[in-house]
Amino acid sequence: MSPAPERPVTRGHSSPVVRLPRKMLGALAPPTWPGTVERPLPRSHVGTDYDTSWSRTPVARLARAMITDNITRPFVRLAAAPTVVGAEHLDPLRGPVIFAANHSSHLDTAIVLSALPVRYRHHCVVAAAADYFFDRRWKGDLWSLALGTIPMERSRVNRRSVDLAAELVADGWSVVIFPEGGRTTDGWGQEFRGWTAYLAKRCGVPVVPVHLHGVRPIFPKGGNRLRPGEVEVRFGAPLRPLTATATASEGGHGREEDARRFGARVEQSVAALADEAETDWWSARRRAARGETPDLRGPDAAAWRRAWLLPESRRSNAGVRRRTPSAPW
Amino acid sequence: MREILVERSLARFAAARAASVVAGAGSGITVGPLRLADREPRALPGPDWHRVSPVLAGICGSDLATVDGASSRYFESIVSFPFVLGHEIVGTVGGGRLAGSRVVVEPVLGCVARAIEPPCPACAAGRKGACERIAFGHLKPGLQTGFCADTGGGWSDGLVAHTSQLHAVPAELSDEAAVMVEPAACAIHAALLGAVVPGERVVVLGSGTLGLATLAALRHYGQPAVVVAVAKHPVQRDLAEQLGADQVVRPEELERAVRRLTGSLGLAGGGSPSRLTGGADVVFDCVGSSSSIASSLAVVRPGGRVVLVGMPGTVRLDLAPLWQREIALVGAYAYGTEQTPDGPRSTFDLAFELVAAARLERLVSARYPLERYEEAVRHAANAGRRGAVKVVFAIGRSSSPAWRSGPPNTESVETNA
Amino acid sequence: MSPRPGFVLEVDRSTPPTLFWHGEGWRLERLPAGSRVVYPPEPLPALEDPDAAIRHALEHPAGDSSPLSALLRPGAKVTIAFDDVSLPLPPMRAPDVRQRVVEAVLDAAAGAGVDDVVLIAALALHRRMTDAELRHALGSRVFDAFAPHGLLLQHDAEDPAGVVHLGLTDHGEDVEINRRAAESDLLVYVNINLVAMDGGHKSVATGLASYKSIRHHHNVRTMQQSRSFMDRHHSELHTSNWRMGRLIAKAGVKVFQIETTLNLDTFPSQFSFLQKREWEWSLRDRAAFHATSAALERTPAGLKRQIFQSIRSPHALTSVHAGEVEAVHELTLADVHRQQLVRVDGQADVLTMGLPYICPYNVNSIMNPILVACLGLGYFFNLYRGRPLVREGGVCIMSHPTPWAFNPVHHPSYIDFFEQVLAETVDPLEIEAKYEESFATDPWYVHLYRTSNAYHGVHPFYMWYWCAHALQHLGQVIVVGGDRAAVRRLGFKPASSLADALEMAEDVVGRDPSITHLHNPPLFLADVT
Repeated sequence: MSPAPERPVTRGHSSPVVRLPRKMLGALAPPTWPGTVERPLPRSHVGTDYDTSWSRTPVARLARAMITDNITRPFVRLAAAPTVVGAEHLDPLRGPVIFAANHSSHLDTAIVLSALPVRYRHHCVVAAAADYFFDRRWKGDLWSLALGTIPMERSRVNRRSVDLAAELVADGWSVVIFPEGGRTTDGWGQEFRGWTAYLAKRCGVPVVPVHLHGVRPIFPKGGNRLRPGEVEVRFGAPLRPLTATATASEGGHGREEDARRFGARVEQSVAALADEAETDWWSARRRAARGETPDLRGPDAAAWRRAWLLPESRRSNAGVRRRTPSAPW
Repeated sequence: MREILVERSLARFAAARAASVVAGAGSGITVGPLRLADREPRALPGPDWHRVSPVLAGICGSDLATVDGASSRYFESIVSFPFVLGHEIVGTVGGGRLAGSRVVVEPVLGCVARAIEPPCPACAAGRKGACERIAFGHLKPGLQTGFCADTGGGWSDGLVAHTSQLHAVPAELSDEAAVMVEPAACAIHAALLGAVVPGERVVVLGSGTLGLATLAALRHYGQPAVVVAVAKHPVQRDLAEQLGADQVVRPEELERAVRRLTGSLGLAGGGSPSRLTGGADVVFDCVGSSSSIASSLAVVRPGGRVVLVGMPGTVRLDLAPLWQREIALVGAYAYGTEQTPDGPRSTFDLAFELVAAARLERLVSARYPLERYEEAVRHAANAGRRGAVKVVFAIGRSSSPAWRSGPPNTESVETNA
Repeated sequence: MSPRPGFVLEVDRSTPPTLFWHGEGWRLERLPAGSRVVYPPEPLPALEDPDAAIRHALEHPAGDSSPLSALLRPGAKVTIAFDDVSLPLPPMRAPDVRQRVVEAVLDAAAGAGVDDVVLIAALALHRRMTDAELRHALGSRVFDAFAPHGLLLQHDAEDPAGVVHLGLTDHGEDVEINRRAAESDLLVYVNINLVAMDGGHKSVATGLASYKSIRHHHNVRTMQQSRSFMDRHHSELHTSNWRMGRLIAKAGVKVFQIETTLNLDTFPSQFSFLQKREWEWSLRDRAAFHATSAALERTPAGLKRQIFQSIRSPHALTSVHAGEVEAVHELTLADVHRQQLVRVDGQADVLTMGLPYICPYNVNSIMNPILVACLGLGYFFNLYRGRPLVREGGVCIMSHPTPWAFNPVHHPSYIDFFEQVLAETVDPLEIEAKYEESFATDPWYVHLYRTSNAYHGVHPFYMWYWCAHALQHLGQVIVVGGDRAAVRRLGFKPASSLADALEMAEDVVGRDPSITHLHNPPLFLADVT
């Protein structure tokens, strides 16, 4: 007898949601698969294999526009009361751009979408973690409809997802990306991953740095309830990779800025926006000019000191929760 | 001749069951299958049979189960209606060569009493309690005197008994002591079946007659390191302490006490362990209810033994612990022949010894005439709560001088029920 | 108006009935004319800027100690130990004093660039605190900075790798304390000195010690020789702790002691009548008293417990001292005495007291009968300096419902102690000799102490030893309004009313006894001449 077919690693979408007992189906019960015949693995339809093209059809776009304007934005106004700063940087922009924002909460996507000008709001996709938002078919369906998400691997550059993003940009779609690859656990930022800069260079579109200030106290990672508060959404000046002449004039190597350096510049711009949110525009500018902008990733010190020095706007309301034995009365 | 007769009436058994559930133990007496009847004396079933006039007849837990219609239907085929209850009997022999002598009746109706030749293997080996012929022979079915239509029972003016069932009572033993011989024999049989090895830790669950007698038997015939007795009521607590319990606890304290004693850990339930990892080596369940068997299983160690001394019926039990902890659940019924260091001896002989040594007559706490059987049964059903242990019928006049002097610590007739 | 000191009232015919605590409630009782009622002093004013006072204390230490900032350097190993949930009583309103002090210490540590900082709740053999309790004591900022990284620990006296033996005192006492604390470059201990017993060398030598070490002073002999353990200079308990503390210092453990005192403002304003003298009750107080009493009568016991346990006290900081242990403690004692001392002339035949719903060991829990005994005969009886408020052979009358009820999570060994030990004997010496060892080493209690929120197996014994001095001194103990079975199990006499209790007391001390009533809340220390 040949070995029993392996359990598929990912769930096939052909399997019925509810399986009726064979007895109830009687003669209509599906035939059983012979043990001697190898069973093919079903095609995966989740993770980066999830096909989001349906969510960009006119009908789905219309539905999403309704959801964004009638559900998402009112909800964000109630929970986070966003103030938008620096929207003027977006005025001269036409055509697709990449929005790169810091990430501390599930609310971030909704807040960014709410803050975008109409022409971008209804014509953009959001790069979302394939392992979290697309691990079940229904989740993929839900998020790609409501927020226009596309699956993206968190940690490595996945050809399939970058190709998809590049295709979309070429098609005129803007992309919202959280380059940290996940929400912060301790309030301090994480290293920006490479694909933002890579995508921008490949498609030749500008990157707009975005900083969200004060979201973590409202709903941090691991939080179990929403504590409404106020946030600031700050857009920075669009960034493009320096041209060969520019690098040369700065005394550099005279080649076009590479993805790594460009990515670092994007991260610095977001950090400068963060500094501006904590203090004021002028002192943040001066620090940026001196190269003294506080690192988003926080000091390189013991965990308690990192926590101790965390600004109020990035603190969590969740903390550690373990079940406390209840009193027996 | 007056007898308290139990008749076959499904309706009345059901009524008794209902009454006892609604109004509490013993309430089956008024609506149940019992009545005080006046009947002609029975014919002697054979040449070796004698008439016995009970002097004292005890009320046993199994009798109360019958009264309340709570007995298992398992017994239907090994009793014969109408029967007269009462199998803890001390009486006087009415005629023949034993006339006038004071005897204790050993109630099991085995092959010898049933004149079955050759006897079944159990009877041949002296294990009368395990007789395979209790529904056969020239007698109607009945596992014991007190459940057989042909013999009568102790709750009457007279019954018939086979010579092999009679044990002469030594003159120095009071009637009260003698009426305790039968329950003591059950307790000894159970205690020895538990095979307590010296140094083992033992729990006796229940401090009624059987529990206290088992305690006494354990102390007399074994060397357990510690005996924990479970008692609900103050009188029971005192007696358990007097009879040799090292620790007397209330039912709700048992698990904690055993946990402390055996140094085991607890599982689940925070600081109040709902399950123990270890437990007692042997548990004697002298109650026989679902909850008592469940708590026996809860406090016995893995690989330990639970001996069912009290009569159980249909119970609802989770046997997962029995399976996972490899617990031996052993029944202990009646008596026969016991293996002792001095060779095999009849359980009844040992019981006579134990009753005298442990002064078990102190367990007899109330006596009633037959006419007041309803009150007597109610008293027995609530014995612990009402400060009693063994309730007996005082029926005939004893031939023994010890009876006339009266035992020291019992009321002569309970008048104030 | 400056706060009035405590005073002793002589009851006459026009004195209104006196308030007695009675668990989750109270009784108004008429004491016989001629009885004396000792009233506590009024609360001292709070420090105006507590945070500034704390910072000042840290930089201007008492005794032979450098300022805190001079003791902190990058790369140092610093441990901050703090008093556990047993202090203060009732738990105080946020921010807790510990939060203020710990934040000030951490600000200094962060400023000095100290990376290796660990916080330890000095539990001794008490139950572990829950996360909510830790968060309340330390504040969210500290909790969130330390707990997620495993830097907020609770002392585990049963962790063989977590304690270190520092040697024997000249009296042969083992000194074994928390390893992390002992091996730190600096151990900062944050105290709340609610009563005169707290603080000093007892903080580290008991709070961070193991059973092996604690048993040298938590035993019947020591407790009987502590007259009282609230008076450090006449307390064998403290003398032993001082020997241990000096050995700890000699072993090279650098302790920076911070002690704080609170004023007697114990209950929030809706219960202000509790802290007032009965004849000064305003209309509002009288209305509050009757409304609360009527409501409590109709409230089930569990809910009452919940209501009372949720009370947060308005306690305010009155002083803070930091530096070398002994110098700090002398200053603190003076501040405790300044608030709490009441002078009482002579002893009485009968001492009466009302016992509240709370003692150090049942915060967020049930006050079980053993704790009732301990609060009355352990704590209240010992709130004296000089000699006890009641004469030798006298009678102590306590008022408490004393329910036969236990919290099985917090007090598992208490249940067994009550059911199995007190059922056999109530003699502290016999109990100590026969049972202590087996309870202290019972693996189940050890497991619950280390992993759940249970008091150590030996803890109920300490509660009973706490009573040893009173049990030896008194002729009889009577509990008014208690569960009869539970009171009898404790070896005391139950009485249904104070009048009955006084009648019963006369059988012991003779007719027309002199009576002193300890009026609380709040707590105070009687200076008996």
